[in-house]
Amino acid sequence: MTRRISFSFNGKPFSGEEGQSIAAALLNSGVTELRKTRFEGEPRTIFCGIGICFDCVVTVNNVANQRSCLIEISEGAEIVSQQ
Amino acid sequence: MIVIVGAGPAGLAAAKAIARHGVSCTVIDAASKPGGQYWRFRDLVQGYKSQRAYGYFDELRSNPKITYINAAQVWSATRTNDLVTLNYLQAGIEKSLKCQTLILTTGAYDRSIPFPGWEKPGSMTPGAAQALLKGHGVVVGKKIAISGTGPFLLPVAVGLAEAGAEVVGVFEAHSPLRWLRSPIALAFNPEKFFELLYYAKKIKKLSIPMKFGKVVTEFSGSTAFVSRVNSELSIKRSSDEIQCDVVASGWGFVPDLSLGGILGCKEIVSVDGTVIFSVDRNQQSTVGNIFIAGEATGIGGSDLALIEGEIAGLASINKRIPFTLRFHRARKQLFARALIRSYPVGNGWQKWLDAKTLICRCEEVSCSQVLSSVVELKAEDSRTSKLFTRAGMGLCQGRVCSRNVSEIIAGAKGVPVADTERISYSNRPLAAPISLGSLADGIGEK
Ligand code: FES
Repeated sequence: MTRRISFSFNGKPFSGEEGQSIAAALLNSGVTELRKTRFEGEPRTIFCGIGICFDCVVTVNNVANQRSCLIEISEGAEIVSQQ
Repeated sequence: MIVIVGAGPAGLAAAKAIARHGVSCTVIDAASKPGGQYWRFRDLVQGYKSQRAYGYFDELRSNPKITYINAAQVWSATRTNDLVTLNYLQAGIEKSLKCQTLILTTGAYDRSIPFPGWEKPGSMTPGAAQALLKGHGVVVGKKIAISGTGPFLLPVAVGLAEAGAEVVGVFEAHSPLRWLRSPIALAFNPEKFFELLYYAKKIKKLSIPMKFGKVVTEFSGSTAFVSRVNSELSIKRSSDEIQCDVVASGWGFVPDLSLGGILGCKEIVSVDGTVIFSVDRNQQSTVGNIFIAGEATGIGGSDLALIEGEIAGLASINKRIPFTLRFHRARKQLFARALIRSYPVGNGWQKWLDAKTLICRCEEVSCSQVLSSVVELKAEDSRTSKLFTRAGMGLCQGRVCSRNVSEIIAGAKGVPVADTERISYSNRPLAAPISLGSLADGIGEK
């Protein structure tokens, strides 16, 4: 059994499997919007999946512009949408 | 000291070749697991021939001659008196690594082409769907349309269907009959035919609808609009509306040239407009002791990358390159050229766009903004247009859109894209965007 990791996204509790990226764990929990765009306020989520496009950026433990498709979930991480 | 950047097939083959001769080397890679974009597995090995990856992974883990630095993003490099310094970030900490010999195997990423709705959640690259599935065990959607061109669409479709998703169709722009234009390449690469057969059988068994000459040209978020296109990708007529929550659209690959570009390795434009590195028969670049192997010297798939990596590894320690290796490289290069012939990306896609279609996803620049920079503001080239519109100036540094911006501008002016422009849009001052804080620290150190 892989270990479950708990974290929060915009203040709500989520969990995923150890080793999963933030984007993968959130997508698996039904989250289809990681952030809204700066100008148009349009929803965005994972696009390239491999760290190229920066569509999936979120704030992780107060550090902005983190690519959620690359960063693995960690216990207690506080993940917040950014614009 | 020899450093290899990248732990995909080319990088791993180089490391294995070097270590086999008792020479030490270091492999540095951005991902936490080895394998690059080709070889991603969570547990069970799946897909055609993927078990061979394990031989390389074992070597990386257990050969004492190989040092493996993972989850390390190389963001810049300098070279003075044949000594290359690589600056990288690992878990937020800035480190550096020096070497006399550098082997770059930085790989490639999916090429994306815009269409109305491509910015909506649910629209993504086939690479993203593949990475989520193989790397993270997540199936991206319930009903998935796969669209674009190239053989990579097939394993993605098969993987998703086997994992339980409903693949509503694989929409391949080109007819498989185009392969008949490359009889010699096929004759020299019979194993590729078997690979194709393997996927064709699976697609049939999984009852995945396979459509040739059709692609998704618009997405509403829940409906994919499919059009019949000609070989230039111009729409002949709209054909189907298909309900789906995911459209995975991919148009071949873009090599990642950033690092070699910073170090001054010469780049050339290949027949299909892809910018690649110029290397000699030993995979040596135009700069001193820098060797380059894999997709960055021409998109050719993992077989070619493995051979090129091995040649680069051997050449870097002055070992003789066996004739058989050179032969297999030539054979695979023939196949790589046949891929370009079989799956070309024409300019017809520019007519799929409407005024509001986003071209630059990061800065949210629309097609009409790009066009008006040419018509009203008289931007002569994409550089000027980018200054006016900010297209390509967002976080991704134009990795996704810069080729498309140049091609739209050239299309509007009715001229081809100049090679100099292709090379300039393929390069960027930093190999990876990093936080300004780390950048300032890096400068402060000097
Ligand atoms: S999805 Fe493209 S960088 Fe994360």
